[in-house]
Amino acid sequence: MIVAGLGGGEGVRLVLESEEAMLLSELADQVDSVLLLGEPSDPALGRLLPSAYPDDAEASAEFSRYTRESLVDGKRQAAQRVRDATAVQGDGIVQIELDQSEAWGWLTFLTDLRLILAERVGAAGDDADDEPGDLAAVDDESGAAASETRDDYLRAAYEWAGFVQGSMLEVLDPTDR
Amino acid sequence: MTDILEAHDLDQAAQGAAAVPWRVIVWDDPVNLMSYVSYVFRSYFGYPRDEAERLMLRVHTEGRAVVASGNREAMEHHVHAMHGYGLQATVARGDT
Repeated sequence: MIVAGLGGGEGVRLVLESEEAMLLSELADQVDSVLLLGEPSDPALGRLLPSAYPDDAEASAEFSRYTRESLVDGKRQAAQRVRDATAVQGDGIVQIELDQSEAWGWLTFLTDLRLILAERVGAAGDDADDEPGDLAAVDDESGAAASETRDDYLRAAYEWAGFVQGSMLEVLDPTDR
Repeated sequence: MTDILEAHDLDQAAQGAAAVPWRVIVWDDPVNLMSYVSYVFRSYFGYPRDEAERLMLRVHTEGRAVVASGNREAMEHHVHAMHGYGLQATVARGDT
């Protein structure tokens, strides 16, 4: 993954290996699924859609009523754009150019992804049959080895997403200016 | 004289009640990168770099920071935006 500036800090160019693009596309699709299908009790959704009034249930519900739909839409749209931009066929290098507003979509997507990953690491064990990268909430308790593998994968994805976001920020918001 | 003073006091009390500002509080979240939080504060609120950094560091070290204050509707709008950026933000009355 290479992250470079575009037109004097006005945008960013990403150069990804095809494996990285595929991984990102898969993760983005799963973030979209969590937003679409997540159970209300899913703690990851609580991170993405927090309460504006933690001490006032009524005000909290009211706020949620007016904001939730557009929040979910915005986050799903960001995830879908990342998914589509990285959904490539075959081998080779993938180059993606983003203007500032497109870059914001990526930054917020990477934040949402990391919030979900942070919530999922250490979650109850999963079936050994499960794909290691599945971001769906896990309810069942089983194989410690499988859950360790899963946690390793989630942690690596978390670190990598942070690296990508940090690199984008260095380009978009250089501190030595 | 007494009457005038009392009237004046009442006036101030009434003004005070109406002017109690609402606040936007951003809470620390170990997930978010410091550079990201600071960039959001600058880009969204238009804070100069120094101020955005100061607020970000306050969130980081003290666990929370008030990043805006004003009428309730505007503060709810800001919190909606902060949630869009993935920050943990709440609305609070200014006197709490």
